[in-house]
Amino acid sequence: MRKPPAWRGPGLVLVALAAIFAVAPRLYSNESVLFTMMTFMALAQGLNLLYGFTGYLPFGYVGFFGTGAYATSLLVTFTSLPVIAAVLLGGLAAVVVGLILGPLFRLSGPYFSIANLAASQIIYNVVANEALKPITGGPYGIKIEHVYAPTASYVTMLAILLAATALAAYFRRSRFGLGLRAMHQDPISASLAGVDIVRERLIAWLASAAIAGLAGGAYAWNLSVFYPEAVFTLQISVFAIVFALFGGVGTVIGPLLGAALLYAFYAGIGVSAPQYFELLYGLLIVLLVLFLPNGLASLLTRRNVDVL
Amino acid sequence: MRTHLKRAWTACAAGLLASGLALSAAAAQTAPSEIKIGTLYASSGPFAVASEGQYHGLQYWAAGVNKSGGVFVKAFNKKIPVKIVAYDDQSSTATATTLYNQLITQDHVDILMADFGSVLTSVAIPLAAEHHMLLIDPTGSGANFFTKKTNYLADVSIPSSTVWPLPLAHFILAQKIKRVAIVYGSNDFDASQAETLKATLEKGGVKPVYYHGVPTTESNYTVLLHTIAAHNPEAVIELGYAPNDIAFLHALAGSGLHFNMTFTIFPGQLLALMEKNVGAKTLAYTYTYPTPPLVAYPKTTLGPNTAAFVKEFTAAEKAAPNFLDAAGFNTGLIMQQMLATAPKFTQLDFHQALMDMSGKTTTLLGEFKINSHGAQMGELPPVAQLVPAGKGVTPVVVYPQDKATGKAIYPAPKK
Repeated sequence: MRKPPAWRGPGLVLVALAAIFAVAPRLYSNESVLFTMMTFMALAQGLNLLYGFTGYLPFGYVGFFGTGAYATSLLVTFTSLPVIAAVLLGGLAAVVVGLILGPLFRLSGPYFSIANLAASQIIYNVVANEALKPITGGPYGIKIEHVYAPTASYVTMLAILLAATALAAYFRRSRFGLGLRAMHQDPISASLAGVDIVRERLIAWLASAAIAGLAGGAYAWNLSVFYPEAVFTLQISVFAIVFALFGGVGTVIGPLLGAALLYAFYAGIGVSAPQYFELLYGLLIVLLVLFLPNGLASLLTRRNVDVL
Repeated sequence: MRTHLKRAWTACAAGLLASGLALSAAAAQTAPSEIKIGTLYASSGPFAVASEGQYHGLQYWAAGVNKSGGVFVKAFNKKIPVKIVAYDDQSSTATATTLYNQLITQDHVDILMADFGSVLTSVAIPLAAEHHMLLIDPTGSGANFFTKKTNYLADVSIPSSTVWPLPLAHFILAQKIKRVAIVYGSNDFDASQAETLKATLEKGGVKPVYYHGVPTTESNYTVLLHTIAAHNPEAVIELGYAPNDIAFLHALAGSGLHFNMTFTIFPGQLLALMEKNVGAKTLAYTYTYPTPPLVAYPKTTLGPNTAAFVKEFTAAEKAAPNFLDAAGFNTGLIMQQMLATAPKFTQLDFHQALMDMSGKTTTLLGEFKINSHGAQMGELPPVAQLVPAGKGVTPVVVYPQDKATGKAIYPAPKK
């Protein structure tokens, strides 16, 4: 029997994602829910690129998101670039910040996570600093209302989600991703086997930063009037981490499923029974930690199903 | 011939009557069974206390109008009950964005009202404009919001941050105070006020001797106070949120420093909370902006005056109202009058109705006056000094003269 081509599974996931989010606004007119769901799916997938494949957990992942949001907004404010180009450059700005923070990889485990968290807060405090009011708007926020375009920003976020998913599929199926996973298991053995640990880890880190930066840019475009707290709130990091863990990191569909299900649950409770929100959400996470520590994807892998 | 004419007239009259009946029947058909007012509140997070107060005030207003059969809607020439559709945004802007959209696209509310404060209002502004809905903004006073002409934004229950401190600046100039120190939180609400205060003082020939922003999370003012004292100011103006004011007044009491005039914002809004946290002795002889119900507007053109509101609210809710309750109630009143005067049931007519009310309406919060950018230019709080009364303190309005209930004790006596 012929083995199916390697791209078929990822291709199907990408087509399904594109189809679902292209059709969804016709069935459900609250586009903000769909947009925010895609944002968290992209962020969970971006975080998965780093945490799922290298084991480095960036608590301050929101720093890249906020960087992308502000870089995009500033480019829109001070240049005549098209918004799409500004979003792409927002992703690039996050990559530059990622390069500057590269030395954080001298740390590992919780030390890396805490240092990353501190770095994100430093970026936040710089952006929100009053001395930078003429440039970033400081604590008074930023306004790019003149380019507000919910549909265009929705399509852009969908493209970013597809790009993040394609990258995760590449990480999952390629020799490069195999090297990352080997490094995750045992860095010394991987190094002895010829894996360039520093280079590969940095690539994963920058790819992860780029996704967050791009998502931040599209998010800023969709919000268009916001204060620094809106794009640097730690809630964004927490949600991205919880969603990715819920679905199962190190896979392609895990973070997508985790973010889609948990966010839908979050939005649903928020509308129908907000008084029970904290209770139900907390309960769900406790159950997850107790019974599915490796996420939803582990339900299949336990049964020897090859999960993408 | 005459018979023909008579028949023609009869036919015309019958036709007119029929079309009139048909029109009124159509109007009756299109009148909604309830007016849906969509809003958000925060039951948790940093804005919870203020947001719940505002929401409570709105609920109190809605209960009152529904008891009398609803609000009169001019477009349908009848009273219609009010229904509040509200969701909990937990002080999160991301959640607020989706919930505002929910109110517009799923619940199809007739009137959209923002949550408390500038942060949670900000995300609703582009959404409302995109959906051509007028955003009723009770307490979002960010200077950033009101930069261009709009039909889709109206700040109704709090003055824009850029005009709020005008009476304070004029009081300082009238008192001939020359050395002023200003310390403010680095956020839209406080910094916009600090800028206006500085600019107005400078226009009056007083250049602040100290002008410094601190993080909104600042909780220790001890070092800062000694730095300020080194500049030898006569007046120290601290513009912050309630936790900043509490920390500042605590530090001042513990520092042994004394200034002729000390000003903070929140004793004028949440006096009971401030008394409980810093004590009446520390608050004595300090200045504040007294907001209703601490300052009363006896003559109103719309709704009860401040004293009547306090009495009715206290009787119904078994607790005295604070400013945020009054702001929520006032927002309800303004919407009520808007519906009573808008000739058609459209968002643009709602906006025009508010513009028509502007400058001609006085409520329990003072004069309602909005500009074409949607900013509230009225409802300016006066300046009051908190003077000892029994075990607590009571505000005495000292500026402007026409609202004054006493004279400022200046310089403040040493405690």
